[in-house]
Amino acid sequence: MSETPQEPTARAAWRVVVVDDHAMFRSGVRHDIGDRVQVVAEADDVPTAVAAVLAAVPDVVLLDVHLPGGGGMEVLRQVHEVEPDVRFLALSVSDAAEDVLGVIRAGARGYVTKSISADELIEAIGRVAEGDAVFSPRLAGFVLDAFSGSIEVASIDSDLDRLSQREREVLRLIARGYAYKEIARELFISIKTVETHVSSVLRKLQLSNRHQLTRWATDRRLV
Amino acid sequence: MENPSPRSTRPLNAAWLGGVCAGLADHLGWSVLALRAVFVVLAATRLAGVVLYLLLWLVMPRAEAGRDAPGLEAAGRTGLRPVSGAALRPVDLGAAGALGLLGLGLLWLVQANGWGLPGETLAAGLLAAAGLGLIWWQADRASTREVRRDAGLQQWFGPLLAHWTTIGGIVAGLVALGAAIAVVVLSQTLGEVARLFYVLGGAVAALVAAALPWVLRVRGELARAREDKLLADARADMAAHLHDSVLQTLALIQRRAADSRAVVALARRQERELRQWLYGQAGTDTTLVQALSAAGADVEADHGVDVDLVTVGDAELTPELTALVRASREAMVNAARHSGAERIDVYAEVDDELASVYVRDRGSGFDPDAIDPDRMGLRRSIVERVERAGGQAIIRSSPGAGSEIRLEMRR
Repeated sequence: MSETPQEPTARAAWRVVVVDDHAMFRSGVRHDIGDRVQVVAEADDVPTAVAAVLAAVPDVVLLDVHLPGGGGMEVLRQVHEVEPDVRFLALSVSDAAEDVLGVIRAGARGYVTKSISADELIEAIGRVAEGDAVFSPRLAGFVLDAFSGSIEVASIDSDLDRLSQREREVLRLIARGYAYKEIARELFISIKTVETHVSSVLRKLQLSNRHQLTRWATDRRLV
Repeated sequence: MENPSPRSTRPLNAAWLGGVCAGLADHLGWSVLALRAVFVVLAATRLAGVVLYLLLWLVMPRAEAGRDAPGLEAAGRTGLRPVSGAALRPVDLGAAGALGLLGLGLLWLVQANGWGLPGETLAAGLLAAAGLGLIWWQADRASTREVRRDAGLQQWFGPLLAHWTTIGGIVAGLVALGAAIAVVVLSQTLGEVARLFYVLGGAVAALVAAALPWVLRVRGELARAREDKLLADARADMAAHLHDSVLQTLALIQRRAADSRAVVALARRQERELRQWLYGQAGTDTTLVQALSAAGADVEADHGVDVDLVTVGDAELTPELTALVRASREAMVNAARHSGAERIDVYAEVDDELASVYVRDRGSGFDPDAIDPDRMGLRRSIVERVERAGGQAIIRSSPGAGSEIRLEMRR
């Protein structure tokens, strides 16, 4: 069903939809990355975003976490009902842990803050477009926080509810600011393996319905 | 890490009846089902559990949604994010049925063996409890709707008229209370006058008991209004201060537009301040994370580098942890001053036994075994400071490969 016209350029330009309610930010992104990816549509709230994404079927949607009409989660939900294969990369200025984890759990494949540099953003878009996950140090911190702590043994009902030792190590290194390449060198594994670990953490994050995750979010909110 | 609230509250979204068991279980860290079973068993023995439950129902306030940071609350109000209303958890019919049968069986056992209350007292007690429960239940539910409608007459009658089941519930509850009084009165041989007094007294007591949740709530709301006022004042002051500092920053940026590094540093500091206010947790430096982020902000402001702080877990500051923060700050200053890197990654992790901080840069690096005399700061203010407080510092660096300083402190 993908009728994406992959131009036979040296590096196929990814087709990207930018969803953000601040026009200034959208034009900034277009200016920064417009020559290296193809920005096929822009949208500024949930209904227009859903319409634009479904019309364009892009490789990657850059999705603001906070958006009029119910937030980025709502866009994810509505688009994934129709087109479950569209990939989303979440962006925000807020570091509200529960909102960030919320869009990830709703199906976004990564999270970066808006202060990210153009080069890093291009790299992140490429990663997401190829089906990998993009964890910023901050997201890695949130995930470690959510999965760690005092887990009552009774509440662990499957492998989905805990991270393996290796996954934890990888996340910790991401949180310490290591790039995938550096992590691979540090742990004596290949970059591909690092990517596999990160994707598996993403899967656990999205599938686990662990009591602990929701509990963690509520605790955060109550602090 | 998290402060458990000193009072336990009743989470209505997890409640079967009033949420007493769910609230207690949350507070004590016990299993809800076990607690419910305990109450059922107690209820079957001379209705002790019923009385206890009703008392706790009155004493424990409803769980209120926590207050978010101002930015998040605003985003929630304007529909920029889904409002994180706790979803209602459905009642587990299997467990409820099992507990109900257990209760009935025990009640029968107790009554059949003559250990229980006399039949009339039991019937009156059950009726009264059912009536109060129905009315209080409506009081809980009605007031969750109340928040949204408060115009004119609706303010007073809206909560009651919001749904016909509310009225139905309250009427049924009153009827049950009346029936309880009737059972008590009829079960005793009394003169006309004494009977009248019994009925009147019972009616007054029943009405007072039925109205108690509303009375208690009005008191709660008064206290809340006072608290809201204080908070609103504090936020207004803070907003004024922030707007002021944004203006200052904008003015500075205009003046120093040619110095791009300074502009970035200014913008970054302002961003951090705004972000902290809008989405973060306000507070003084009483926890490790707060102290570290303050230290990071200082280093950013003084040395024009980016400090990216990521934390997992948190702890109250102790003298040892303060030493850890100071050493971390020195490590950041060191990286900012000597490495030439533009960004410093700081990662702090606190678990039950250990607090660790990693300070990392991708700058020039150095040979840790051959530290120049002018960099004795590294040895004295980082390594020795941590070791004096009982922790350890591990330095990993080589020329050209950046450096990472790992600081650890037992808790």
